Amino acid sequence: MSSATVTHRTTTTDAQPAPAAVETHSLGSNIMKYFTTTDHKVIGNMYFVTAFVFFLIGGLLALGIRAELASPGMDYMNYETFNQFFTMHGTIMLLMFATPMFSGFANAILPLQLGAPDVAFPRMNGYAFWLYVFGSLMACTGFVMPGGAASFGWFAYAPLSNSIHSPGIGHDLWIMGLYLLGLSSILGAVNFITTIITMRAPGMTMFRMPIFCWNILVTSMMVIMVFPVLAVGLLVLESDRVLGSHVLDPSSGGPILWQHLFWFFGHPEVYVIALPFFGIITEVLSAFSRKPVFGYYGLVFATLAIGALSVSVWAHHMFVTGAVNLPFFAFMTFLIAIPTGVKFFNWIGTIWRGSLTLNTSMTYAIGFLTTFLFGGLTGIILASPALDFQVSDTYFVVAHFHYVLFGTVVFAMFAGFYYWWPKFTGRMLNETWGKIHFWTLFIGFHTTFLVQHWLGVAGMQRRIADYGAWEGFTFLNQLSTFGAFLLGISMLPFIWNVWITRKAPKVTVNDPWGWGRSLEWATSCPPPRHNFESLPRVRSISPALDLTRPELATHHLDDPGELLDDHVDAAELEGSAK
Amino acid sequence: MSGKTAPSRRWVRGLLTAAIPLGLVALTACSGSGARLGLPEAATEQAPHVGNLWLGAWIASFVIGGLVWGLIFWAVIRYRRREGDAPAPRQTTYHLPLELLYTLVPFLIVGVLFFYTVKVQDAMIEQDAEPDVVINVIGQKWSWTFNYMEEDNPAIGTNAHEIGTLERIPDLYLPVDKRVRFNLQSADVIHSFWVPSFYFKMDVIPGHFNSFDATPNRLGTYDGKCAELCGEFHALMLFKVHVVSEEEYNAKVLELAENGNAGERKLEAAKQAVWQTAAPEEQQ
Repeated sequence: MSSATVTHRTTTTDAQPAPAAVETHSLGSNIMKYFTTTDHKVIGNMYFVTAFVFFLIGGLLALGIRAELASPGMDYMNYETFNQFFTMHGTIMLLMFATPMFSGFANAILPLQLGAPDVAFPRMNGYAFWLYVFGSLMACTGFVMPGGAASFGWFAYAPLSNSIHSPGIGHDLWIMGLYLLGLSSILGAVNFITTIITMRAPGMTMFRMPIFCWNILVTSMMVIMVFPVLAVGLLVLESDRVLGSHVLDPSSGGPILWQHLFWFFGHPEVYVIALPFFGIITEVLSAFSRKPVFGYYGLVFATLAIGALSVSVWAHHMFVTGAVNLPFFAFMTFLIAIPTGVKFFNWIGTIWRGSLTLNTSMTYAIGFLTTFLFGGLTGIILASPALDFQVSDTYFVVAHFHYVLFGTVVFAMFAGFYYWWPKFTGRMLNETWGKIHFWTLFIGFHTTFLVQHWLGVAGMQRRIADYGAWEGFTFLNQLSTFGAFLLGISMLPFIWNVWITRKAPKVTVNDPWGWGRSLEWATSCPPPRHNFESLPRVRSISPALDLTRPELATHHLDDPGELLDDHVDAAELEGSAK
Repeated sequence: MSGKTAPSRRWVRGLLTAAIPLGLVALTACSGSGARLGLPEAATEQAPHVGNLWLGAWIASFVIGGLVWGLIFWAVIRYRRREGDAPAPRQTTYHLPLELLYTLVPFLIVGVLFFYTVKVQDAMIEQDAEPDVVINVIGQKWSWTFNYMEEDNPAIGTNAHEIGTLERIPDLYLPVDKRVRFNLQSADVIHSFWVPSFYFKMDVIPGHFNSFDATPNRLGTYDGKCAELCGEFHALMLFKVHVVSEEEYNAKVLELAENGNAGERKLEAAKQAVWQTAAPEEQQ
């Protein structure tokens, strides 16, 4: 990481009393370095490692759940343990893996793409990271407490979550741990917004920012709108539990109030963990198609539209409560399909007539398109209250949100890892192991979750520890469990890949892919402490490519190139690109 | 970029590659629950509304999905980089008419879907002023109480109830072809009353009264379940729905009443019987 910088500095001068003067690479100084760092790249890597560890823990919990569901009857768990497992699986995956993974990518890439030396508030950045670690550990300590971890589901519906129905300190730790996690996300979001607004390099106008930066901006704005609402809900819930207040009491409409508070956070949260990863996909598709993003302005406005609509659709989680206006929330939810569709067509437009390099990163991006599309289609079906009456709270919903969230977060995360690995570590990941990783993961994922759609429609409700042998669910559940274990195994090739490439040859060029467009590819791998020795001129959305292939920029001015217009003189283009 | 085929023919071929697997799926799915795309057989008069919308929505989804998947796979296959390709393709950045097209056309699709959605949901939640049968349902951890409100029915003349327990799941008898009103109340936490064959569920929420109508029209026994996480034994909160002839229904309710289950089991009584309902400090 920044060890190269450290050695470099020590050779130049000893006069400066900089922290770089610490020459010993003892364990203690390394620990101090990570504890005290304010370097956005180091913090980004710390987010990656921590969030990935939580991803593995959440995955193990999922395997426990799937193993129990492989056959009717309680096989090796008791009911309470099962409830703790799915509650913590959901909590960990959403709030300790996916959301921090957004912070990780934003930390590692955002300042580089903006041409900034660091984020706006580096110390607050470090604080937010440690808050995340502390909050997560707090919520997970429930497992070693008497009574076990939280078991009321990750949306903690009142009154199930009160002190009568869910006694036990594990629940209190969960609530307050999540409160700290939320605070961490809010601080991170404030940091990213400020960085984007105030720290762009000269020439980097808002409409020259990479789509990834736009998506981080919209995501962060959503975070500061909805996480405070979660915080309010959690504090009120905890106050009901320990101080004896009655805010969420059934006698005063508490159960519905909690659902409104929770889903006003919970639904935008889905977009909080989707949008940054859409941004990663956009970058990867563009780089490996050797084309600029198609319909840049359309993509920006689609992202803004998704952000705006996301705060007006929360009650589609409450269609079967009989307490919300069905047509309004159905219509608003349907509307989200439109900007999402625009994104899809823009992604296709980006690869259309491109020159596609199907390496692991690009394969993951295509895998994302394939998978997320199906999640989007089932999302439209779920947005219809009439159909939701049947499939709400069933495995159909479980299948849907895994297509959406796993399809987005995990596929795009790996697309981003393979793409930016040289930027993070200075080394490349192995392509062969990458392909093995992709195909086991892809097949494992679809085997696990495709069949769950059928289970849900046929009548398998979610969050059940057991089902009847007479119901005919056994075979599909076994198939799903098999897929889940394949999916679990697919993590091994990745970990192996990281291990064998830890001493791979250093990347010596700025851009090992050759077609990176944004500013992170105009500095070394990994970048120096404050990111840039010199900044290229920013005159378009592709400053790095303008620097390495100026002929493309000139050509583009003459011929902006419309997608279906076939009358281009191919020979002329070839000439100009050589 | 040295495309030799005409663009229109490329499009046709792309669409065909997408259509063939879809057609196969459609062919294999023409029997049993496959023909209903996974839904169990409908058991109420209202359920086919949902069943038809379900089919229609999936056909529309597969057409749109097939088109988009087709475009993706076509692009991946056709535009894969080959030896001898120019270093860079044309640097296309926008195409305004096309972008407007794929922004505006979805409004139409969404509009049509919304129209049918509202029609169907209205049919599902519509309530009759004079239902034939009234069942007061109470959800309690972790079973159901069914109250047959038949005091004013000359053929029965008394209310009766059945209380389920974890050990013995309750039976709910319903007369065929009669409009049934379900009144849903909870004694403790949120539950959800779901009979998959009715294509309908509704939450059972403490402090929030819910009700819906359904007209069972097919004789048989169906699974019923709680669909909302309600604590430790949520998975075991099951019941059986028996749709029977009117005579059999009357006989079953009378039988219940004669076996000591006469009268209505009120919510207050249910609250007292189940777990503590007040905060510990209030119980002293």
